[in-house]
Amino acid sequence: MAEMEKLREMIINGNGKGIADHVVKLVDRGQTPGSILNDALIPAMDIVGDLYQKGEYFLPELLISARAMQRALDVIKPKLAEQGVKNVGKVVIGTVQGDLHDLGKNLVNMTLEGAGFEVIDLGVDVPPDKFVAAIKEHDPMVVGMSALITTTMPAMKETIEAITSAGLRSKVKIMVGGAPITSEYAVEIGADYYGPDSTDGKNYARDVATGKV
Amino acid sequence: MATVYSDPEKSYPAQLLTQRMYGYDQDPFLGYAAYGTYEFGGETSFPSGDNINAPCSIRFPVKSEKDVEGLQLPNPKKAGMLPRAIQFSKLQQQNGTGISVVLGGVFTLAANLCGIEKLCIWLSGEPDIANKLLSTATDHILDVISLWVDEFGTERFIPQLWEPVAANSIISPRHFERFVLPHQKSLHEKILALGVKHILCHACGEQNKNLPYWSQVPMGNPGIVSIGNQVSIKSAIEHFGDTCVIAGNLATELVVGGTAREIYDAAKSCIEDGRKAPRGFILMTACETPPLTPPYNFYVINKAVHDCGQMSE
Repeated sequence: MAEMEKLREMIINGNGKGIADHVVKLVDRGQTPGSILNDALIPAMDIVGDLYQKGEYFLPELLISARAMQRALDVIKPKLAEQGVKNVGKVVIGTVQGDLHDLGKNLVNMTLEGAGFEVIDLGVDVPPDKFVAAIKEHDPMVVGMSALITTTMPAMKETIEAITSAGLRSKVKIMVGGAPITSEYAVEIGADYYGPDSTDGKNYARDVATGKV
Repeated sequence: MATVYSDPEKSYPAQLLTQRMYGYDQDPFLGYAAYGTYEFGGETSFPSGDNINAPCSIRFPVKSEKDVEGLQLPNPKKAGMLPRAIQFSKLQQQNGTGISVVLGGVFTLAANLCGIEKLCIWLSGEPDIANKLLSTATDHILDVISLWVDEFGTERFIPQLWEPVAANSIISPRHFERFVLPHQKSLHEKILALGVKHILCHACGEQNKNLPYWSQVPMGNPGIVSIGNQVSIKSAIEHFGDTCVIAGNLATELVVGGTAREIYDAAKSCIEDGRKAPRGFILMTACETPPLTPPYNFYVINKAVHDCGQMSE
């Protein structure tokens, strides 16, 4: 349908002006919120993520696309809830204790939301016990941890140990990311996955949600 | 760690002792990548107690387009960390070591005023706002360097401009060319016109696609360009070798967590590549050396320098 294609293009091109009105128009014409999410918003953000990974899009392009997607999502979110449309899955995410940087975490957050996940963002400088409490409260399928600097990397290990000590390790998959993090380090500290960028993180969460891992 | 930033009277001698103990050449300096937020009226978190974090911006002075229009240049004698930086440079002067001030490149400083996400969105949607902010950042850097030239002269003064945010992991080379290059080039021309002889520019992180543009920015004679491990020393020599000393680029993750053999081999490899730089080469880490680096790893780097670091006649 041309109007759905237009919505996809608006997101891919980061054209947020008028996107909310366009979504309202689609709903008025009988398009279901679930279809808008699954057939337009999520596929469009997947394309944006692919373009980012290929080096054709950079952070500014990613951000304006995510902003456009968020404006569209704001229109349909209440309707999705009304109709009982379930999210793809739940992810708890935070920057680990001692680290105040939030850019990487925010990118993963936006990318996951764009893929239909519910994201519980714990913010920055998150102590291990707060991750543990959030897992108990929200029962996520994935926990994401971010660290930008080498000095805060050990906090990831401490957080995983706290999750294990609380008896919750088998309930969640843990993905880690950030500039100094490597896949070897992820293995060393007992994480399940290292994502070099937000699209990889989203793909991993999607694999968890669909039972592929 | 807190004292490194908070108290020049302790930081300077502590760095001097550390330098002597570990045997590296870099003189003591005061600086951090989040520079600018505090100086323009925002809030920066500095390490305290056992916290070994780097300073980090936590409240930006610019929150909206309107804030950009009303943004005032701070007094470089009084703003934020600058009084402590002046005090630090007085110690550098008194002790006969290199005199430096650490500032961002124009894009990093602008990002430290409004946050990376907002600046990136303005690049795409509000280019005039982005340019206005970049102009303000440029003017401030020039104000600070002018003050340093007035206070300390140019003989031993090397300003350090750290530019992590304009990396290609964040912005495209197209945006670099359009937004960063004109301001950065103009800034360097004005700095050199003040009589500054050398500029140290740290092109941090993934900057490969920006190198053709960086090479258009004058750095002095010679300038000093330091690179991250994402850029090869060979590439850096191709783009800057005729005019600049090349500095780099041992991966910080390796230096803090690698085995002695891995670190030695990587340092040796850097030296072998770097010795081809016509204006000279400085072996250094790809970014700031992590404070948790095991002391033995410094020994290994020094050993590589002593074993392989002789420059040809």
